Parts: sequence; C-alpha cells; structure tokens
Amino acid sequence: MALTGRFAALLGLGLVPVILFGGTTLGAAVALGLWVLLAVILGLVDLVLAASPRRLVLERLLPARVRLGESVASELFLTNSGSRRLRGIVRDAWQPSAGAGDNRSAVDIPAGERRGVTLQLTPSRRGERRVAEVTVRSFGPLRLWARQATLHAPGHIRVLPPFHARKHLPSRIARLKELDGRTSTLVRGQGTEFDSLREYVRGDDVRSIDWRATARHNGSADNPGQRVMVRTWRPERDRRVVVVVDSGRTSAARVDDEPRLDTAFEASLLLAALASRAGDHVDFLAYDRRVRGRVHGAQGAELLARMVDAMALIEPELIETDWTAVPAQVRALTSQRALVVLVTPVDAPGASAALLSVLPQLTARHTVLVASVTDPELSRAAGERSSLDEVYRAAAAERAMLDIARVSAAIRRQGAEVVTGSPADLPPALADRYIALKAAGRL
Amino acid sequence: MTPPGTAARARAAAETAREAPALTPTLRGAGRAARFWVVAGLIALVVAVIAAYVAGAGASLQPALSAKSSTPAGSRALAEVLREQGVRVIVADTLTEAEDAAAASADPTLFSYDANGYLTAGQLRDLARLAPRTVIAAPDFLTLHTLAPGMGFGGVSSADPLEARCDLPAARRAGTLSSGGDTLRPGDAPGDVTRTGCFPGGDGTFSVVTQATDAGMLTFVAPAEVFQNGHITAEGNAALALGLLGASDTLIWYLPTLADVVDPGPPSIGELTPGWVTPALVLLALVALAAAVWRGRRFGPLVAENLPVTVKAGETMEGRGRLYARSSARLRAVDTLRVGSVSRLANRLGLPRTATVDEVAVQVAAVCARPLPDVRAILVDAVPAGDRDVVRLSDRLAELERDVKRRLEPGRGDASAGPPGAPNRPDTEE
Repeated sequence: MALTGRFAALLGLGLVPVILFGGTTLGAAVALGLWVLLAVILGLVDLVLAASPRRLVLERLLPARVRLGESVASELFLTNSGSRRLRGIVRDAWQPSAGAGDNRSAVDIPAGERRGVTLQLTPSRRGERRVAEVTVRSFGPLRLWARQATLHAPGHIRVLPPFHARKHLPSRIARLKELDGRTSTLVRGQGTEFDSLREYVRGDDVRSIDWRATARHNGSADNPGQRVMVRTWRPERDRRVVVVVDSGRTSAARVDDEPRLDTAFEASLLLAALASRAGDHVDFLAYDRRVRGRVHGAQGAELLARMVDAMALIEPELIETDWTAVPAQVRALTSQRALVVLVTPVDAPGASAALLSVLPQLTARHTVLVASVTDPELSRAAGERSSLDEVYRAAAAERAMLDIARVSAAIRRQGAEVVTGSPADLPPALADRYIALKAAGRL
Repeated sequence: MTPPGTAARARAAAETAREAPALTPTLRGAGRAARFWVVAGLIALVVAVIAAYVAGAGASLQPALSAKSSTPAGSRALAEVLREQGVRVIVADTLTEAEDAAAASADPTLFSYDANGYLTAGQLRDLARLAPRTVIAAPDFLTLHTLAPGMGFGGVSSADPLEARCDLPAARRAGTLSSGGDTLRPGDAPGDVTRTGCFPGGDGTFSVVTQATDAGMLTFVAPAEVFQNGHITAEGNAALALGLLGASDTLIWYLPTLADVVDPGPPSIGELTPGWVTPALVLLALVALAAAVWRGRRFGPLVAENLPVTVKAGETMEGRGRLYARSSARLRAVDTLRVGSVSRLANRLGLPRTATVDEVAVQVAAVCARPLPDVRAILVDAVPAGDRDVVRLSDRLAELERDVKRRLEPGRGDASAGPPGAPNRPDTEE
C-alpha cells in the first residue's frame, strides 16, 4: 500500500472545517475527527477500486549482448489479466550500473490488454547486468491510495568489453600486408615461407633471383635471356598464439581510471584480431588460481565474439596469481611451439618473483612476450620536483620505475620479451611487437 | 459487439500465460507472518495491565495522609479504625466542603494537612475557626505565623524514645512516639493563649504543641509520620492519633487541594488560544505523517550489485613518497633520484648498461664541459644535510640531465651550448 501527495493535500484541506467549526476545542476536535474519517474512507474506497498489481503477465524483450558504451533498448510488456483498468507506475529494477536512468514509467492498461515499457540501457560497466524485479504501483480512480506489489521478472544482459583499441587495427593490418609478398630484400629469415615466383623488377635484391627458375622459365618460353625470376616470401602462417591474462589481485589496480584487467583485455583483443587476420591460431586464457575464461580453437569472427563473451564476466579476483600452474595450462592449450603472451603487471621484484620462477619453463618451449600496463603517473611524478614533498614523491616514482626496469631486465635475461605501455599505448605496442616478431620469423 | 469479444479473448489468452509471481506478501500472508508478534504483544500488554493493577499503581495518585490512600504515606488505616470506633469521618477536598461539614455537625474535630501550602493566611484563619478541636499535621511556616504567632521550628527531635511528659490526655495515653521527626518551639505566646508542649525533644522543643484559645483547641503535630499507614503501629503513634482525632463523633478530614487556590493570576496561554489550535496542530501532524509515508514509501526493494574494488595503481608510489618524507630519508631519496638520472644519462650518452657511475660522470663532465668534481658531487658525492639540500640536489640533477640533452641534440645543441658553456671551456680542453 502507498499514499499519494493528493491524500496528504486532502488531509491538509481539513484545516478549513477545523477552523470554521473551531469556536470551541470540542467542535474543532469533532470536525477534525470527521474530516480524517472522511479522508480515510475515501482512501479505502480508492484502494478497493484499484486494480490488482499482482495480476500481471510480464514478458521481456532483451538483446543478449551489448558493447560497453553503447545503448540498447530493454522492453518490458505487461499484460493486465485482472478485471479492472490498471493505472499506475512501473519500476523496472535494473542494477544501477545497467544505466537505466529513470526506471519509472507511467502505464495505463485496460483489462485484458497489453502495454510495453521501454527503457534505454547504457551500461557503465562490463559484465552481466541483471534485473530481477518489477514493482508496480496501482492507483485507485481518485489517486489517493495505491496498491503496490513487487513481481519477479528476471532478465539479464551481457555487457562486452568495449574494444576501443580496434581503431588501431586497420593500420596494423596494413603493415601486416606489407610483410606479405615482400622479397628477401627486406626480410629474409628462417621463419618466412616461400610464397611464389615472379618476374624481376628494378629494385629487387639480386640475391633473391632464383636462377634455376629463371633457367626453367626461359627454357620453356621462346624469348630466352629476357626474363629473370625472383622468389617472393610471405610471413609464416598457422602459428599458434596463446594469450594468458593475469586476473589476480594486481590486475584490479586502476591506471588512468581503468582497471589493468580492462587494458589487458583491450590489448589481447587487438592482438587476437590481428593474429587471426594474419592466419595464426589464437587461444585465450584468463587465469589467477583457476581458469576464469578460456577460448580455444576458434577462428576468424567467431574468435573475437567468443573472446569478448568470455571476457565480459571476468572480474579481477583479490587473490595472488598462481604462476606455477600456468605452464601446464599453456601445454593444455597447445603442444606446439607458440608465442605465449603473458599480460600481467610487472611491478616490484618481490611481486614478480613467482612469474620469474616459471618463465624458464615457458621460454624453453615457446617465444614468450610479457605485456605490462605501466602507470603514466609515475613519469609525471618523477618530473615534478618543485617542493620537498614533490621531491620525495619523485624519488618514490623513480624507485618504482627502477623496480620495473629491474624486473624487465630479469625477464629479458630469462629469454622473454617485455612490452610496457600506458593504458592507451599498450594495445598498439603489443600489436607492433607481434608484427616485429612475425617479420623476424620468430614465431 | 466486437470489442468486448476481443477483450474477452485477450483476457483468456492472458490467463493462459503465467502471471508473474509476486514477491510482496499479501495482506493475509503478512498478517500470518506477524501473528506471533501480535499475540506476543497482546500478552505483554495484558501482563503489564495486571501487574500495574496488582501493584496498586492507581493509589499513588492520592496525596500523603489521604484517608483513602493505602500506601505507606497514606492514612487509610487511621481513618478506617476511627470509622470502626463510630466516628463519622467526612473527607473534604475544599475549604467550602469543610465549612459545610462543620456547619452540619454539632461538635466536629478538624484534621488538616496542607503539604503544598495551598491555603492563604485568611483561609487558615477561617480554617482554625471551623471546629472546637483542630489538629494540624506538619504545619508550615505560614500556618505557624498565622495561627500561632511566636511559635517556631525546632529541628529534628534528639530524644529517644519520645516520652509524653505533659497533661494532654491523648499524649499521656500514648506514652511514647517513634523517635526522630520534626519538632516545634512554642516560644512566647500572646497573653490570652496557653501553649502546652508534649514529647519534648530537648532544648525547649516539642513534637506536639497544643494551643488553647477561646475559639477552641489547636493542636500542631510536627511529625506527620504519626498518622501514616507506615508508622502508625510504632510506639504510641496510633494512640496519639486516635486520641486527637477521635475526640468527638465527627471528624472532618480536610486535605487542601488546587481547588482551594483562590486567585489563579492572569489567564494562561492555553486559555487565551482559540479552541481550534490544538486540533489544527493534530491535523498538521497527521498531514506530515501522510506526507512522510507518501515520500518515504519505497518503490520496491533496493537492488544489490557487487561493485569492483577501486585501487589506484599509484597508491604504493604515493605511500612510499610519504614514508620518505615522514622519516626524512633524504639520502635515500636523493640516491634513488640519482640512480634514475645516471641510468638515463648512460642511455643518452650511449654507454653500455654495465657502465659504472664513475664512467658516466666522466662522460657527462666531458659533454657538458663542467669540472668533474662538480658533476661527481651532483651524481654521487654530495650528502644532503637538510631539506633545502634535497630540493637543491634534485634541481641540479634535473638541470644536468637537461644540459646533457641540450648538448647532445643536433642543431639546438650548438646554438645553446656556446654562451653558457664558455667559462668551462678550459676544462674540456684539458
């Protein structure tokens, strides 16, 4: 049950009779009592005449997924199965970060009919946003008192990572294509594969001339000595890339108001998009002490779809990552030589000891790349030295950067590579490193 | 014709679909859930009412020495015994009632106890004239001043036990009184008045003083305990009380009340306000209550959501900086800055990672055309003595880095290195 402002106003109107008949206390008290009685009786009549908010059939029409930052319409259909016309307000109780804004809408549903209520959802956070309840307040014809009930009408929508880094994709793909069909003038490594033969044009490296093919070609044709054939190369294909994202406690920290984990997702999505375009197989694993998300054996568009789907539900866990189990997880994903990308914060030597201890196991079999989000605040703080406090702060920042440099050096000594960058820079930097590795044929 | 038909069909269709289950309990369900508490509350209420009745909570409303009160401070026992002895006990609440009762009876005795001092001097004088025998318990100052000029208060009696030692028959029969209690000091009586003190408390004080005049006999009993239920059985209290109050067939038991107060003064605010003000206030309170329910009624339960923790990555850096500052770790802070600068300088100068600080210092001195000890002081040797040194060293480090950068940068380096570097030229040529 609920009251309306109109009922309070009706009660307040009682001042008029109370003052008019208020010559004596008794007369005023009688007037007061009669007026309150009248108001309550009107309210009760109103309550009895209000439609039942329980006699509703609720249906939802919801898209399954939405990318973070985009809006989507949530539709709720209410069918009045009672015998009275329902006038009231409906609150569709979405979780706050589903971004429903004002989730109350006025409805007027005649008996037996159906009406829709549409909410614009703009989720503010990745993950699964839920709605469990719909509260209906049904007013009587006088709108004095109302009946209210909360109905169970579950629904959920999955909010996918935004993948802002996809703006870097076209330029990286263009660079990948440049690798394609290159002659050995620029790149000639053991990893590049023979692609095709073509006629020599000016500017080609003379070392890439295939004399045997030239001879064979000229032998079959009728203008000998005119054509020289060169070999072309293309980047190796069908290599394996395993992206391991650390979802442990250090990934919960926010850098530039974005959790490290989200930056890690951006970087891995860009890398996956690029690598699958380059013809490599990408596997994804989010791990702290157990597997939080895993994508294996997907290709092309399905790969990205499955990755964002898996990422949507992963939140940083407040536990230490168990690095000793990671080599086994990688082995479970691929038995071949692979590029293993570990996306994890590279911090203090103490915190990275576990990572350093398992790196040799990985580097023995695979090419390992450690990608880490660094805080741009550090270099900013190291440069501000105008007061004593700022100097101490700069010293602390310098100290943190030295720690990162030391851990990075240790990682390189174990035979792995390190990519660091601020949240905005890490995804393209990782993609660039991947292209460089591919060009060098190190996959 | 068709609209009702379609409505009916729609209703039928809607009824086949399942109605959403309601989470809010129905009125009946809520009542059933709250039944235990309603019953428990009712039982508690009944128990409280019974307990209050048994404890005689209603009796406490009677004043002390009331003939109807059975509390320890009341006097019902005395009144009942007098009634049993055939004395007509008339309870009067106002002076007028007492006057009427006195006029109606032939030879009344008046008992009065004005604990709150309601009566004025005039009323007291009227009171003293009502009956041939008047007994006043625990007289206050105004009573003594009006009815017995010259009589004063004597403090608490020090005699133990209190013995009568006077000719008053009632006192003689009583023999002793319970010890303690207030006393009176008879003082000098006017000529036509004789005062007799009984139960002396030493130093000329008495617990009971009678004053005989032409109008009648006035007895002051300073300790009111003599008449109270709680003390009446002690020593000769009962004998004294019965002897004083039971001297005639009729006893007027008069305890002054508020009704005796003659002039209430100027009208109070309550009497001046019009009658509708209180009901109007009640109505406004009800309106406020209704408005509170209107605004405060929650539109369904709150929705819970697990939010992620918010930890800024820079917290450790900030914390370490504050630790440095609090412990004044000057040398440590400066050394950290130096390590950073040296590694950056080594990078810039193209020295290997393994280059020592000395090598870097030599190179920097050569590039910047500064004396080597000067550069070494900045990079290694100088120990900051105070906070000012810390800031100064940090500034000089930054300046040195800028200098190296400027000199190594092509184009700009030549132009800017000339004038500031000129005095240091000889050093580089060494």
